[in-house]
Amino acid sequence: MNFAKLAARNVYRNSHRSLVTVAAMAFACAMMIVFSSLMEGIIAGSERNVVAMNTGDIQIHQQTYRDDPDIYKMIETSTQLSETIRQAGFFAAERLFTFGLMASDDSSSGVQLRGVDLLYESTVTEINQNLLQGDWLDNNDAHGVVIGKKLARLLDVSLGDELIFVGQTADGYMANDSFRVRGILKSIATDIDSASVFMSNGMLRELISLPEQGAHQLVIMRADRKQDLAEATEKIRTLVKQDLEVMSWRQLMPVISRFLETAQVQTLIMLLFTYIAVASVVLNAMLMSVFERIHEFGIMKAMGVSPWQIIRLVYAETLIQTVVASIVGLILGISLSWYLQQYGLDMTSLADGMTFAGIALDPVWHAELSVNSSLVPIGFLFVMAAIAVLYPAAKVALMQPLEAIHHQ
Amino acid sequence: MNLNTLAWRNLWRHKRRTLITASSIAFGVLLAVTFTGAGDYFYTRMIDAGANMGMGHITLAAPDFNRAPSSKKYLQQSAQLQQQLTQLSDVKSSMARIQGQAMFASAHKSIGGMFFAVDPEQENADNNLFIKAMVEGNMLATASDKTVVLGVDLARKLKLTMGKKVVYTTTDKHGDIVSAIARVGGLFQTGSNEIDGAVALLPLHSVQKVLGYQQDEVSVIAVILHDQRHSHQLRDEMQMMNSFAHTEVLNWQQTQPDLAGMIAVDKSSNYISQLLIALLVAAGILNTMLMSVLERQREFGVMMAVGLSPQSLFLLVMLESFWLAVLGLIIGTIVTIPWYLFMSQTGIDMSAAYGDGFSFGGVLLDTVFKIRLFEESILAILIGLFTLALCAGAYPAWRAGRVPPVDSLKTI
Repeated sequence: MNFAKLAARNVYRNSHRSLVTVAAMAFACAMMIVFSSLMEGIIAGSERNVVAMNTGDIQIHQQTYRDDPDIYKMIETSTQLSETIRQAGFFAAERLFTFGLMASDDSSSGVQLRGVDLLYESTVTEINQNLLQGDWLDNNDAHGVVIGKKLARLLDVSLGDELIFVGQTADGYMANDSFRVRGILKSIATDIDSASVFMSNGMLRELISLPEQGAHQLVIMRADRKQDLAEATEKIRTLVKQDLEVMSWRQLMPVISRFLETAQVQTLIMLLFTYIAVASVVLNAMLMSVFERIHEFGIMKAMGVSPWQIIRLVYAETLIQTVVASIVGLILGISLSWYLQQYGLDMTSLADGMTFAGIALDPVWHAELSVNSSLVPIGFLFVMAAIAVLYPAAKVALMQPLEAIHHQ
Repeated sequence: MNLNTLAWRNLWRHKRRTLITASSIAFGVLLAVTFTGAGDYFYTRMIDAGANMGMGHITLAAPDFNRAPSSKKYLQQSAQLQQQLTQLSDVKSSMARIQGQAMFASAHKSIGGMFFAVDPEQENADNNLFIKAMVEGNMLATASDKTVVLGVDLARKLKLTMGKKVVYTTTDKHGDIVSAIARVGGLFQTGSNEIDGAVALLPLHSVQKVLGYQQDEVSVIAVILHDQRHSHQLRDEMQMMNSFAHTEVLNWQQTQPDLAGMIAVDKSSNYISQLLIALLVAAGILNTMLMSVLERQREFGVMMAVGLSPQSLFLLVMLESFWLAVLGLIIGTIVTIPWYLFMSQTGIDMSAAYGDGFSFGGVLLDTVFKIRLFEESILAILIGLFTLALCAGAYPAWRAGRVPPVDSLKTI
C-alpha cells in the first residue's frame, strides 16, 4: 500500500478542513518566527547598547575601584598593559573618570567626566558613531565635549553652547575650566544619558592634574567575536599578572545579563501558549477527519491493515499538512522578519524613549533573523502536531474491526 | 420553533468536538485574563511607584520647567495651590517639592546626583517611595533641618556614614552657584542602582533659603491620585481651571516619558500576543462550525423543504457559535477563577530569576508576578470573545443559509 498517496488523497478529500487547519498552523508559525526574530532583535539591540556602546567585553580596574570610584585608584602601568593585550589579539583602550559640577547659563548638574583615548576608543566601542547631533571628539578641538541627551535637556544647552566645569584636582585644588558642546549622544543608558560628559584623556588629565601615565579603566573587546567570553576573560587574567580586577560584562552587569538570558525563556513561553491553541485546532480537525471515517477504517482493518499501519496513515496525513503549513509559515515569517530587520518597527509614535534596567532601547525596533529564530518555531510546530494527533490515531488503531464497521 | 433549543442540542450531537473547541475557547479566556490581568496589575504598580518617586500622577510645575528644569523656574503661592487641590475628589494627597540637580561632596570626593527637597509633614510612606525604602536612620524631622537622607549607593561612594557632613552644590534662582552643608540623617535602599546611587532628600525650607526662594515657592507640586486611571482626564480638567492658569499641569506620561514609552510598547505587544492567540482560537471555531455545517447539508435541505427560511438557518448556526462561546466561557470561568485567586493574592515570586529587582522605564519593578483585572478589562474580554465567536461562525452560517433544498437532498 502506498501510504503517501493514500494520505495525500485523504487530506485532499476534505479540502475545506485541511485548508483551515493548514492556514491556522502556517499563520501561527509565521507569527512565531516574527516574534522570535523580534525578541532576538531586542536581545541583540540591548547587548549592543551595553557592550558595543559602553562596557566592552571585558574591563580591568583596581580591585576596589568600582565600589569606591576614587581618582587615585589608577592602573599605573595601563599603557604597557594595554599594549600587551593588543599584542595578544584583543582591542583595548584606556579610560579616565572624575565627578564634578557642570553649569550652563541657567542650571547646573552633577556629572561624570569620561576621558577616552581618541586613538583606540573607536576600536573597542561604537560610541563615536552614536551621535544625535554634532560631531565626536577631536584632538584639534580640546575644549569641545560630547554630552548625553538628557544632560543636554537638564542644562538646556544645544550644540556650540558653553559649559563651565567645577571640580577638584588630584592635588586638592579647585578644577575649573570652560567647554563647548561639540556633540550630543543618542540614548545609551540612563547614567550615560543624564550625567556624562565625554572628553579626551589628555584634556581630563590636564583638567584635574592627573599623572601622565595610568588609567582608571581598561576596556577590552575580543577581536574574534566567536571566542567564548569566559575563556577570553581568563586569558586576559593571565596576561595581567598584577592584583587587578578583570571582569566580563556579564559579571559587571549581572541584572542585564540575566534579563537577556531570560528573554529567550519568554520566547519559549509565548511559543508554547500559541501552539497550544494551534494544537487544539489540529486535534479537532484530525479527530473529525478520523471519526467520520471510522467505518472506512473498520473495513481496512477487516482487510488486514494492522493498527500500526493505521497510526502511520493518520500521522502521514498530519505530517503532510504540517509540512505544507511550515513551508508557507517559513516563507511568510522570514519575509516579514526580513522586512522588520531592514526597516524596523517604528515605535516613535508610541514612545519617545524607552529604558529597561537602565539600558536605552532603540525606538525603532529591528528584528534579527537567525537560524534559531526561524527553525525553533518550525520544530515546535511538528512536535505539537504530533502530540495533538496521538489521541485520534490511537483511538482508531485500537478499535475492534467489527465495532468500527458498525459505528453509526 | 425554538432555534435556541435546537442550536444547543445540535452542539451536543458531537460531544467530543464541542468540548475540544470549548476548551480551546476556555484556554483563550485563561490566557486573556492572565495577560490582561498582568498588564493591569503591573502597569498600575509601575505608574504608582513612578508617581511615588517624586513627580506624582499629576504634576503642577512652572511653565517650561518640565522641558528644561532650572531653579529660575518656580511656582509661587504653593500653599494656595495645594488648598485648591484638596477640593478635587480624585486627589489623595499633594506634596510641595523642589526638584533639582546637585553635586554632593564629602571629605573624600564629589558625585553628581539629584535631590528632592521635601516637607516631612506632607510626606509619608504612601506617597514617597524613599520613606518606604528607609534602611538606616530616620526621615528628615522638620522642613528646616540641616539633615539629608541619601541613597545607600550614593552614601557608599561618598564614604559617608550616619551623622557625617555632606556639601551640596547647585544653582540658585539667579543662576549663581551656591553650596550648603547637611548631615546624613538616614539612608534608603530601593534596590535600583540608578536611584540609590543618585538621589538625595533634603529639607524643603533649608533648600528654599539656599536657592533664594520664599517659603511658598517651590519647583513642583506632586499630586497623588486615588486611581491612576483618572490622571489623563483630571489633567485636562485642571488645565481648564482658572486656579491653575499660571502653572503647567502635567500627567505622569509627560513627566516620565521613559516609563510611558515602556508601558505603551509593552501594552501593545501584550495586546498583539492576545490577538494572535484569539485568531487561532477563532480558526478552531471556524473549522468546527464549517465541518458541522458541511456534514449537515442534507439536514438543512430537509429543514428548508419543510419551510425554514435561509435566514433562520443562518440564525441557527450563529446561535450554535454563540452557545459554543457561552460553553467555552463557562469552562473558562471555572478554570480561571482558582488561577486568578491564586495569582491575585499570592502570585509567583520571580526573585530567583531577576534578583532583588530591576528598573523598567526608570522605575523599580518588584519581582512578584501578580495579576489583577479592572472591570473594564473583564468587559473587553467578554466583548472580544463573543465578537470573535460570531465572526468565526458567520461564514459557516452563511454557507448553511445558502444550501439549495433540492440539490442538498440529492447528496448522500
